[in-house]
Amino acid sequence: MKKIYHITLLSLSLLIASSCDDGFDELNKSKTGATTVDPIAVFNNAVIFTSPPASTLVYELGAVQQIITSNSGVNVGANYNQVNITSTPGNWTNSYQNTIKYTADVISHTQDDPTRANLYNMTRIVQQYAFMVLSDTYGDIPYSEAGKGYTDQLFLPKYDTQQAVYDGIISELTAAVAALDPAGKIETSDVLYKGNIAQWKKFGNSLLLRAGMRLINANAAKAASTVAAAFAGGVITDNADNAVIRHDPNYMNGVGNTLNGTEAANFYLAQPFVNALKANADPRLGALAVRYVGANSGPAQIYTGTGANSTFDPANQYGMPMGSTDATADASGASLPGGGNRYAHSQADRTRVVSRASPMYLATAAMNNLLLAEAVERGISGVTGTSTEYFAAGITAHMVQMSGYGAASTVAAADITTYVTARTATFTAAPTGAALADSRVNEINYEYWVASFLNGNECWANFRRVGMEQRNYRTPNPATAAPLFLTNPYSGKVVDWINRITYPPSESLVNTQNYNLAVQSIGKDELGVKLYWAQ
Amino acid sequence: MLKHYLLYGILILICCQSNIAVGQERAVSGAVRDETNSPLPGVNVVVKGTSTGTITNSDGRYTINVPNGASTIVFSFIGYADQEVSVGDRTDIDVSMDADVTSLDEVVVTALGIEKSSKSLGYSTSKVNGDAIAINRTPNPMNALTGKIAGVNISSLGSGPAGTSKIRIRGQSSISGQNSPLIVVNGIPIDNSNYGTNQGNNGSDTSVGNRGGGASFDGGDSFSSFNPDDIESMTVLKGATASALYGSRAKDGVIMIVTKSRGSGSGIGVTYNLNYSNDTPLDFTDYQYEYGQGEYGIRPTTPNPQSGQWSFGEKIQPDMTQILFNNLTVPYEAQRGIIKDFYRNGQNLTNTIAISGNSDKGGFNMSIADANSKGITPNNKFNRKTINLGLTYDLTPKLNFKANVNYAAERNTNPPIIADQDNSMPTALLAMANTMPLSVLDENKYNAGGGEFLYSRFTNRTNPYWGLAEVKSNIRRDRIFGNLSLAYKLTDWLSLQGRFGQDYYSRSSDYINLPTGKASINSGSIFSSSAPAFYNGLYTQDFRTFRETNADFLLTAIKDFGDFGINISAGGNQMKRRSDVSSVQVTDFSVLGLYNVGYGRAKDPTYGLSERQVNSLYGSAEVNFREWLYLNFTARNDWFSTLSPANRSILYPSVSASYVFSESFQKPSWLNSGRLRAAYAEVGSDTDVPPYSQQLIYTVNANQFQGQAIGALGTSVPNPNLKPMRAAETEIGLELKMFNNRVNVDVAAYRKLTTDQIVQAQVSDASGFVNTLINSGESENKGVELMVNLIPIETNNFSWDLTFAGAYNITKVLSLLNDTPGSNITVGTHVFNGWVQQIVGEEMGQIVGYGYRRYGHDPATNVPLDPATVTNPENIGKIMIGSNGIPLATTRPIPFGSALPRWTGGFTNSFNYKGLTLSFLIDFKLGGKMLSGTNFNAMRHGLHKATLVGRDNMTSDTGTSDPGGWVLNTDGVDANGVENAKAAKVEDYYSVVRGSGLVEPVIYNAGFWKLRQVTIGYDFTKFLPDNFPIRGVRLSVFSNNVLMLKKWVDNIDPESFGYTSDNVVGLESPGVPTTRSIGFNLNVKL
Repeated sequence: MKKIYHITLLSLSLLIASSCDDGFDELNKSKTGATTVDPIAVFNNAVIFTSPPASTLVYELGAVQQIITSNSGVNVGANYNQVNITSTPGNWTNSYQNTIKYTADVISHTQDDPTRANLYNMTRIVQQYAFMVLSDTYGDIPYSEAGKGYTDQLFLPKYDTQQAVYDGIISELTAAVAALDPAGKIETSDVLYKGNIAQWKKFGNSLLLRAGMRLINANAAKAASTVAAAFAGGVITDNADNAVIRHDPNYMNGVGNTLNGTEAANFYLAQPFVNALKANADPRLGALAVRYVGANSGPAQIYTGTGANSTFDPANQYGMPMGSTDATADASGASLPGGGNRYAHSQADRTRVVSRASPMYLATAAMNNLLLAEAVERGISGVTGTSTEYFAAGITAHMVQMSGYGAASTVAAADITTYVTARTATFTAAPTGAALADSRVNEINYEYWVASFLNGNECWANFRRVGMEQRNYRTPNPATAAPLFLTNPYSGKVVDWINRITYPPSESLVNTQNYNLAVQSIGKDELGVKLYWAQ
Repeated sequence: MLKHYLLYGILILICCQSNIAVGQERAVSGAVRDETNSPLPGVNVVVKGTSTGTITNSDGRYTINVPNGASTIVFSFIGYADQEVSVGDRTDIDVSMDADVTSLDEVVVTALGIEKSSKSLGYSTSKVNGDAIAINRTPNPMNALTGKIAGVNISSLGSGPAGTSKIRIRGQSSISGQNSPLIVVNGIPIDNSNYGTNQGNNGSDTSVGNRGGGASFDGGDSFSSFNPDDIESMTVLKGATASALYGSRAKDGVIMIVTKSRGSGSGIGVTYNLNYSNDTPLDFTDYQYEYGQGEYGIRPTTPNPQSGQWSFGEKIQPDMTQILFNNLTVPYEAQRGIIKDFYRNGQNLTNTIAISGNSDKGGFNMSIADANSKGITPNNKFNRKTINLGLTYDLTPKLNFKANVNYAAERNTNPPIIADQDNSMPTALLAMANTMPLSVLDENKYNAGGGEFLYSRFTNRTNPYWGLAEVKSNIRRDRIFGNLSLAYKLTDWLSLQGRFGQDYYSRSSDYINLPTGKASINSGSIFSSSAPAFYNGLYTQDFRTFRETNADFLLTAIKDFGDFGINISAGGNQMKRRSDVSSVQVTDFSVLGLYNVGYGRAKDPTYGLSERQVNSLYGSAEVNFREWLYLNFTARNDWFSTLSPANRSILYPSVSASYVFSESFQKPSWLNSGRLRAAYAEVGSDTDVPPYSQQLIYTVNANQFQGQAIGALGTSVPNPNLKPMRAAETEIGLELKMFNNRVNVDVAAYRKLTTDQIVQAQVSDASGFVNTLINSGESENKGVELMVNLIPIETNNFSWDLTFAGAYNITKVLSLLNDTPGSNITVGTHVFNGWVQQIVGEEMGQIVGYGYRRYGHDPATNVPLDPATVTNPENIGKIMIGSNGIPLATTRPIPFGSALPRWTGGFTNSFNYKGLTLSFLIDFKLGGKMLSGTNFNAMRHGLHKATLVGRDNMTSDTGTSDPGGWVLNTDGVDANGVENAKAAKVEDYYSVVRGSGLVEPVIYNAGFWKLRQVTIGYDFTKFLPDNFPIRGVRLSVFSNNVLMLKKWVDNIDPESFGYTSDNVVGLESPGVPTTRSIGFNLNVKL
């Protein structure tokens, strides 16, 4: 017994004697978590998240009248021109919580490290890319104070005007491109260009070209100087230099993943898109569309490649009318060759262009050539070459780029020649100048609309920049030309055109003060409000 | 290590038994009655000068072994004067107790297991005896306490047997952290982690969610490890003062469980207990059955209809048919009662055998139990095997040894997926088109490829029968917990105790989610084109071990000096906790139907280690004057490993007083006793701070991208300067026993101020992060608790005992990041469009969402404008209808009120007629709001009766006809305040809740009144012949959740919540139906 007594006393005195927080500093350091990794790994994650999120299906791709759903409820968005608070935060959370956070982290670790100067400057380019998408989507956004939650403990960042954001984007991109140094460390682990400095400079300049063109209405002088500088520095004009996220089964294409998942049978090509491609006998329609002839349900969409039941035949493609409800879409589907209901409309092919592993094109030779064509048309000095050359090169580049979706989407060389010849003829016949009705600028932006298919962010931004909805497309017959885009006929729409996406509800709840100031600055937090640079 | 303790315990047990065999003693038995000659159960019977004791059974009978040499037995019972009876040579001693008066005395187990006389306490405690838990049992023992203790609010979830039980004592104090009380077993804390459903939890509470989306089943809490038969008593320490000695972990009160550790009577006793109950699912739906499946007024008439979750079809007429699945023609008729048809009756069967022994030197109790539950979900079952061993032994007259070990093996198979939109059987069933026959769903669940056959365009609404067949989960937990203690009397006034306790479990779970699920992902088809050779799916294997050890010591001095008595204790505790989790999640499978990580395509293994420690020193001092005035002081200092060096040490004081005024002056004759209590205490807590919160941790994704490592960061910003949160509570109370103890009242009032709360504050996404832990936040709980016990009738043959336990609590948020009224943080997100927020100046737990935009109100905040500025002031407040005929939503989310109930409590009525007892409990929770996800779906899918409005109105305002009908809401007004003239299609009108998030129509009062329990019991012991091998037989028949007396929410039981997290309180999303259970309990003593 005495022994137990002694042991007890001993243990008690030990407990008292040892300091009461002995070893706590060590104990509270994670033994299994890393507090540092090579910043290139984080950089790569930032790059992956520049790919547009699935929410672009609900808003962006529908706002440009390319892909819509007739479903109400959770998929309400651009087809009904209504607010859908589930999807409005898509780009916001995707970019801020990922690309902005990760680039801010990489910048904090590389800005004072000369050995990683190239990584620092690559990161700045990627960050400005994300900011441009954010501003193009919402208007005024947190910019100068964004992404600083950890480094500066800045939790409720203020918003900057879109004008200030664009000023910042242009100066940051300019500085980053200039500072990229082929003699410095080459970041070969980079998933975009394997650290190739020349390509990174082209990508940075391409974003500058894009930013400059975006300002063409708002600040023509700044637009011209920016475009000229970008052109002088060299932009992507060859598909080999395209900025593309090559998704794989683990890092899936957001749109493709949704379309091969829960929403497989719910989204269809919109009628304006299919009709326009058909009217121009565009061979790309057969490369991107599929129609399940006679289908009256999801399970009835049986995929057999191109054939009688699931056909790629461009002549047999029918888009869903804008503003369709399920009921009107069913009626429209029933009237198609082979009957069926809404499930019989054409879809972006889930096995080809919107598979889970489909590549996502961020900046391409096609887009840049078309932007340069417009720059020439608008007489921006410093951009050499003819608009016709750029126009043809842009279309050709996109048609070739289609093979990136796989052999079944490859457009035959002969078809490319036929189409480009016909379109170039139309283009050269069109009046010059940037007038609204039927100018060459129209033709260029029509092609940009097709060439940026599936990159909802860029397609929609350019759509609004040039006021696509106000333009009267000449083709096929200028004499009887009808507007390509009709005002959404849905009776429950809240605006005629979606000009921006409303801020996520969390901002009004959490960052209330800054949110209110931003709403004051842009007017109203509504879908119809036009952005600073919009036509 | 524990094995050794177990072994040691068994050795002691053997030792102990041999002592019983040779003990020099004789048995004394008898009956104890009150002054009206009624049997008095529960009386303490102790051999004076020893620790040998027992209590009387329900017939007031006792048997006790009196050692040779002992001469006196002491009988004591609350409300009665102690009686000392000298034994002499007698073996049969009957005693009649006199009600006394002075006696407010009951031995209460207080913090650290210190036993104190209740009259010395300056704070409120409540005790529940084991019977209350064991007889009328629920699979989770805590639920049996519902409505029985003032100020204790218990809610179970609609999540099957072994589901979580949410316990709140005196309301909720933590703004975005955890609010669960500390669970102490035999004096030592155990873990109460919750493995719950947590989607949408934006706060920091400690519940652990499942990996992977859509696997939202309730994995249960710690209480499921208990066999109710092992519980001797539960004591609830409600206030901060009561629990001050537990320091950091006790800010929300303490539930002290004492398990059985010795028998009663002499020698070996054997008890067998059988408990059986049958659970019937309750269906509260009151849907419309006038219009059947379909959309926009059209019923399914072609193969493969896609409207399986929509009931906006045609008016149901006799002899109509519909076409379902792949061209099946079936009658188009209402399918009522699918809830009862889909679910089965659940069953719970528990067998317990307990062997106990008792002697003058000690005793033991060992029980072995097997509990089997069949959940109402047809593939859900739960099994628990427990072994409980408790023993106490006086090694020498001065040295006592106590030990208890509990082992539980729990197997939970297929706990249902709840509270989710996707893949959840309850959700799909509650929104199923009202003409969809269940048999057709069952027979057509598979498509040709082995995946799910699509029956609805809402493809996430998995066919419930497919879910039953294909979605599997298993949880296995093996748990052993217990403690050892040695107490040594150094002198007659000074004693020392040392204890070591451990809670250890290993828990493995695996779950298959969507093996080829979400319908539209066609298994192995070309559409899984990311990896065409694989079948889609998600499978997770999760293995964790958890160990918490507590070592403590306590030095106690008790001495009287004339009129003064003192009782001083000092001690220390060291708590260490470690949990290890390894988990592998795989996606896509190469073999259909074989879910093993080896066959997965993409694999994501993780390992996590978490360690924390709290060291503490504490002391208490009690001084009493003539045993009617008591003063109590305690102090505790905690050192937390999770906090930064500057903030990790904190001291909490408490002071309390108890004044037994009935003993301090000549009291009136109607007053038996009376006492006043007052207390003030501070406690603090780091429970909302996970280990390593000061570090920003990088992870590297399991799968590389283009051969490169992909690094990632968490969503929470670390904060290196966190301090412990503090709670300060003031409490006063009054206890009165009057009119021969037939009117007893205990009332308490408290105010608890919680400051420096560790708030998981949502930050702007634009910061890059989602949230950060901050020390901020102040909240105030104020409340009153009332316990009234009346004995209106008491005769020899009949008595009626009525107890009311009720509480009022209100919790206000005083400040968050700042104290500007209206500033807020979001702590929970509904699967639909709703949030729980804390808003400065408002009650805690505000349900927030988009409301109707109202005329003459601010469109963002819904606050009325100055009527002078409004064109049509007579229409101020009417809902505004857009130009499309559909109501407009506010432009910003608005608060609808607190989800927390203000009033909770219950009435227990007990009748006793010649040994036949009948008792029933009516309980209530009132004053909270809820956002009903079930009704949200019922509304937009056309099942809610409210959606009948407009269906027979075939033409619109412009003369357009539509078979689905038009809603012309003339109660609403247009933008100018003029009566609305625009019609909208019925389906569009009612679908608006989803698209624009307009949830106001599904905000309800969450209150209810229920007939919670009915129990009838009879003790057959008196019919047993003397010397019969069976010494006692008692049978009880009971029913739980008997009747809903009143509720305000449509179509559901307001208690059928799906979330375990505090932070998503009030956000209802379909769980499995609540059940009514009917069963019996048979207790046989050998």
